Amino acid sequence: MIKRWPALVVSAVLFALLLLLALVAPEFLSGPNFDLTDFGPSALPPFGADDRGRPLWELAAQGARVVALPSVFAGLMVGSFAAVGGLIRSMEWSRADSAVQAFGEIVGAMPRMVVILIVALLLPRDMRGLLPLAATWALLSAPGAMDEAAAVAERLGGARFVEALRAHGYSRWRIFVVHVVGYNLRPVIVRQAAEVTMQVVFLEISLSYLATSNNDPSFTHPDNVRSWADILHLGYRALAFEAPFMHALFLGLTLVALVAGTTIGLSRAARAR
Amino acid sequence: MKRWWVRPLVRTISALVLPMVVPVLLTLLLWALPGDPASIVCPPENCTGTEALAERWNLDQGPMHFFTEWATAALGGELGNSWRMQTGASVSTLVFDSIPHTLALIGLAFIPTLLGSVLAALDVVHRRLDPLLYLLGLLPAVILAVMAAAWKVLTYSEFGGETAALFLGAAVLGIADGAFSGAVTGTRSVSAAERQQRYTGVGVLRGETELANILPNITPALAGQLRARILHLMSGAVVVEVVLKIDGLGDLLWQAALVQDFGVVLPVTTIFACFSAALLLVQALVEGAAAVWVRWSPSGVVGSSA
Repeated sequence: MIKRWPALVVSAVLFALLLLLALVAPEFLSGPNFDLTDFGPSALPPFGADDRGRPLWELAAQGARVVALPSVFAGLMVGSFAAVGGLIRSMEWSRADSAVQAFGEIVGAMPRMVVILIVALLLPRDMRGLLPLAATWALLSAPGAMDEAAAVAERLGGARFVEALRAHGYSRWRIFVVHVVGYNLRPVIVRQAAEVTMQVVFLEISLSYLATSNNDPSFTHPDNVRSWADILHLGYRALAFEAPFMHALFLGLTLVALVAGTTIGLSRAARAR
Repeated sequence: MKRWWVRPLVRTISALVLPMVVPVLLTLLLWALPGDPASIVCPPENCTGTEALAERWNLDQGPMHFFTEWATAALGGELGNSWRMQTGASVSTLVFDSIPHTLALIGLAFIPTLLGSVLAALDVVHRRLDPLLYLLGLLPAVILAVMAAAWKVLTYSEFGGETAALFLGAAVLGIADGAFSGAVTGTRSVSAAERQQRYTGVGVLRGETELANILPNITPALAGQLRARILHLMSGAVVVEVVLKIDGLGDLLWQAALVQDFGVVLPVTTIFACFSAALLLVQALVEGAAAVWVRWSPSGVVGSSA
């Protein structure tokens, strides 16, 4: 079992690394270097080069910038929805509860990727980016998060728990924000937020990879920006065609592991006592 | 006490309405975008004859006219023509050629998911495997699909193309994004909670099995979980089909979305809505059947009227 504090420290360090990568991302990639014959990290530290001789760290940094803000935004959105779901159940607002369930039925009726593609299709070209897609993903994930938070709130006493704290003379802030959200719902809110953050990163990689593999423009970022999918596509070429980009596959998988590690760490750190 | 038939009824109504609501919403959204639909699909600065195209695609007389024309034709099995992807090609042919591939992919991918659910319901998956299952569930479909695509290229001469892609895709879908691990942990959490109920203990003392006692009560929840998992597989199928080049509905939707071919996106999305509706209907039937089963008076029970 992973301890709470080490998990928090590890996830904070990994998250800081991702943010740092996003912050130092160059606006434009370096020019191509077709004279480069060795693409590995020894020739161009620290991560090597892509097929045009450009440093891979620049691609990794631009990819981090593409996902950083939208994924965190989606995570916060789902976390807020989960908190609302839990609070609604704690306050026994049966009508709001039914409305949330009905919303969940409607939103959950279609496959998520189909909805995402439709949103991508309907967005005007100048508005294309990861943020609207991340918000849509968060909206699609919200009913599940609200449902789980509501179940946790109910299991931990629901309205009776709130009534008991009222009887102790606690303020509304202390009851709902500190006890219900902070203590009771924290594990589920943080886990759901972290998982959706991770899912949005994976969504970006998926959408960009699908576009990159067919030489099409991506839905998630402008054409002059590269994403982690480009790194993974180089890795695919290394695997399938023995192209000299195994270092790119390693970097791509490391970046994915970094995101997954942050999610695991945060979920572990926030788990119930 | 809630009436048992409310949920199945709501699901049945949703199932009947969904295939109609989805295309209506899509049509309205197309008209809600800035600029008229014909100009969006065929910008006057890039292509000539926008007005003629608008007339041919029924875009010239508003959303209601467009939708009624499309829906009437669709009910007769004619889904219109592609606008941009394969201009003029029959969408019905494209869609009906794609459906078997997608169904085969999802059907094959559903096997490990179902197996996970059954094993968890029988309580034979040890909890020590949970961390492993959790890590397995974190693997995104795109990463596994990339690996599978590379393997497909490397072993093309030995295993062939389409069939290998289908099986590889199914394996990827069945494992990635928590499909298998979610089936195990989800089913187990539902059945474990029910196993702790007093009636289960009483049933065991009477010499009955745990599963026979809990099954009627967990069936509706499991039906809901299975529906969600199939939807999840349908969602992942888009990624897997494109990466592994399987000519399914997901691949068709992706190609159409890339070029903003509304003529293809509308019918494909409606087909997805029909699949979702069928799943809703099955869930409603299972819920209804389970409710009737639970409420059916067991034989040999005598009322204590005295």
